[in-house]
Amino acid sequence: MSCSPFDLKEYFLRELSQTDAARVEGHLKSCPSCREEMDRLQLTEAALCSLREEEIPQRIAFVSDQVFEPSPLGRWWGAFWGSSARLGFAAAAMLSGAILISAFTRPAPAPAVNLRVPTRSAQVSAQTFSGADIDRRIQQAAAVEATKAVALAESAHLAEIRQLRDDLNKARYNLSVAASEYDFAARRQGLVNVAANGYSFPKSDAAGESK
Amino acid sequence: MIFRAVEDGDLIRQAARGGVEAFNLLVSRWEKRVYNYLLRLTSNREDALDLTQDVFLKAYQNLRKLENSERFAPWLYRIAHNEAYSMFRKRRPETGLDDLPPESAEDGIAVGGRSVFPMELSLSVTAALNRLSPEQREAVTLKIYQGFKFEEMAEILGCPVSTVKSRVYSALDLLKAELAPIGRGVS
Repeated sequence: MSCSPFDLKEYFLRELSQTDAARVEGHLKSCPSCREEMDRLQLTEAALCSLREEEIPQRIAFVSDQVFEPSPLGRWWGAFWGSSARLGFAAAAMLSGAILISAFTRPAPAPAVNLRVPTRSAQVSAQTFSGADIDRRIQQAAAVEATKAVALAESAHLAEIRQLRDDLNKARYNLSVAASEYDFAARRQGLVNVAANGYSFPKSDAAGESK
Repeated sequence: MIFRAVEDGDLIRQAARGGVEAFNLLVSRWEKRVYNYLLRLTSNREDALDLTQDVFLKAYQNLRKLENSERFAPWLYRIAHNEAYSMFRKRRPETGLDDLPPESAEDGIAVGGRSVFPMELSLSVTAALNRLSPEQREAVTLKIYQGFKFEEMAEILGCPVSTVKSRVYSALDLLKAELAPIGRGVS
């Protein structure tokens, strides 16, 4: 059990920061048990390091072979697919291009139309108007229709009166023409009689003049 | 004229452009470490060597996919881990890695019949390592022998950091119980 402010193994494995390592070192100076534990760890490391690294029995080396070497284009292509930054840039460029093409080729949007649903509005009206309102509206509509009918009848009656007046004027004109013709015929007959029988003064007129 | 050490990042960039010589230089820097990591996993030199070659071939083929050259080491060890476990699965498709019987100290890594350290100590360490589970042994190999951080180990092993810590700590407890008395003689 360690009483060190930090894990002694972490200090031993050189995973602590310099500040923390200095604190552990200060603690080790004053704590015999932690110092003993640290000694055991260092002895273990010394024993482990007694196993030396071996030399590799055969050196590894690669030989350049033009047959298997990728072409400059192949290297560029490989490097392109191997680099996420380049791939990301290419993807962003393609996306931007697609957005621009879409913006230039898309048809203009249709003007906004305020669509109404008649049935729904009728339902809403029916729901909101009371019976009195409906009666009043019916009466108003009936009055309008009656006014229209009266106006229509008046105009028809006026046209009839005008027709009668025109007919009367025509009859009056024909009558005056007929009277004039009659008068003309009577005078003509009188003249013919005078021409045939001579002029004779009316008796009443002669007696009156004699008197 | 300015002299500058050729870093792994420079070699990776050149190798990614098809520079075989740059990749060979990269291989020469890492082959011993990868080989010894695979040797700890497989306990067999031939398998370790074959796997090391496969690992570097696969690394060369996929080097262009490595975006951050600073992550080359975990990336390379991830390939090595996958190759080794792929071989285990091919050889024992019906059993999981946990079912593999631990090898005895005598069947462990023999350093060619010669010993640069006392034979007894080598055998004891090998036996202690072999008593660990394959996951614990790999975790100790990556941490103690290869010097990776917990985050890098999580990347290599494909598991959470908490799992990596748990494996390393439990392995350390077991190894400490067996090796601390022996290590006192070494130090």
